[in-house]
Amino acid sequence: MSPRHHLDHSTLVAYAAGSLALELAAVAASHLEACAQCRQRLHEAERIGGLLLEQQRPAQWPAERAATLRQSLLDRLDDAPAMPAPQALAAADSVAGRPDPDRLPVALRPHFGDSYSGLKWRWMAPGVHCIRAPAHRNLFLLKIGPGRSMPVHSHGGSELTQILQGAYQDSLGHFGPGDVADLDSDIQHQPVTLPGMPCICVSALDAPLRFPGWLARKLQPYVGL
Amino acid sequence: MARNWLTMAPDFSNPKASPFETARSMSSPVPAGAEIHDWSGDMAAVRNRRDRDSFMRIYDHFMPKVCLYLRNLGSTQAVAEELGQEAFLRLWQRADLFDPDRGSLYTWLFRIARNLHIDLVRKNPGWQQVQDELDHVAEAEDSPRYSSAEDHTEYVQLKRRIDALSTVQARLMRMSYFEAKTHQEIAVELDMPLGTVKSHLRRAFLKLQTEVRGAR
Repeated sequence: MSPRHHLDHSTLVAYAAGSLALELAAVAASHLEACAQCRQRLHEAERIGGLLLEQQRPAQWPAERAATLRQSLLDRLDDAPAMPAPQALAAADSVAGRPDPDRLPVALRPHFGDSYSGLKWRWMAPGVHCIRAPAHRNLFLLKIGPGRSMPVHSHGGSELTQILQGAYQDSLGHFGPGDVADLDSDIQHQPVTLPGMPCICVSALDAPLRFPGWLARKLQPYVGL
Repeated sequence: MARNWLTMAPDFSNPKASPFETARSMSSPVPAGAEIHDWSGDMAAVRNRRDRDSFMRIYDHFMPKVCLYLRNLGSTQAVAEELGQEAFLRLWQRADLFDPDRGSLYTWLFRIARNLHIDLVRKNPGWQQVQDELDHVAEAEDSPRYSSAEDHTEYVQLKRRIDALSTVQARLMRMSYFEAKTHQEIAVELDMPLGTVKSHLRRAFLKLQTEVRGAR
């Protein structure tokens, strides 16, 4: 099923430009793996980068230096055989031609390991479990039990959330597997997970969440997001 | 004779030189797109025959551009040269992966240089692997094909669209592509609300975007 909620164009530009923070880029990439439409937009944003690269007008290189670099590259070509094409990781995982449902998106594996079954969830609040990326505190997996409502919150900066399993609903609509919520700082929302199965998603923030209610404010130090 | 590299190359000491401004300054006298070169023949020769002359033609044209790009991202001249050499080595080694129907050589080189920067300078582990993975997924599906004729037309159109960007849009695109600034950093530096930064970039992208051939 194709995703119905996509990356914001400003996020795609930042991703193509290589200027997206590492945490946000990991979540964006997990969406790109799942979404042909956003991959196409990304390609267009990279074309812009390519054309801008081509349009650069550097100064004439000092002849001596250019010749040295040129020769050193030529010398290295002999010892540089053609590299085999990189292996397709997701395809290699597939079971009987279908993607293995236990494998995490490739983009998340450096941070959380390879499989859902290997995740070590930590209790965070009733019905809510969390795993933070060890090296990146603003990147985390969330598992929210079915039929739970999260506290109303807005964001100091950007929040990017990719739904991996299950679904939730908020004022912006229904978010199911493959959908991404690319949220501005001015959006306040209260996601409610759908009944049936827990909702697993990966989120990245570039600034702490803000909870407006007094209870939520009290909870914040414990929730720690 | 050892001479100072930086003083001999004034543009290198001014890494903020903007391709947008360059594009503007050269818009009318030169027929639009006249200077574009079709690299697919040279790339085919590299891919099929490991042709060094073709490879070095590509190198001579693009190496200074790639180095200027890497310098703008914050690398020293020495690091930019090292990464630049690495980028062309990669082009040589992976030439068989280049598919002219999927985009131009300069887009491919842009991605190689950007990926090297993110991998080695920003030290984002796994970035390259994710990009390879995205390529694989894209290959496996029926993505739009480009021909060099379309590519050329598009290049000309895109140049016009860049000229048509507002000053602020051009500035934010430059800060994104050539200084690798995050939205947050741009907002702070220009004292602009984050939402405004994003909406400018959104509109700039829509203006530059080509509503295309074979869109699904």
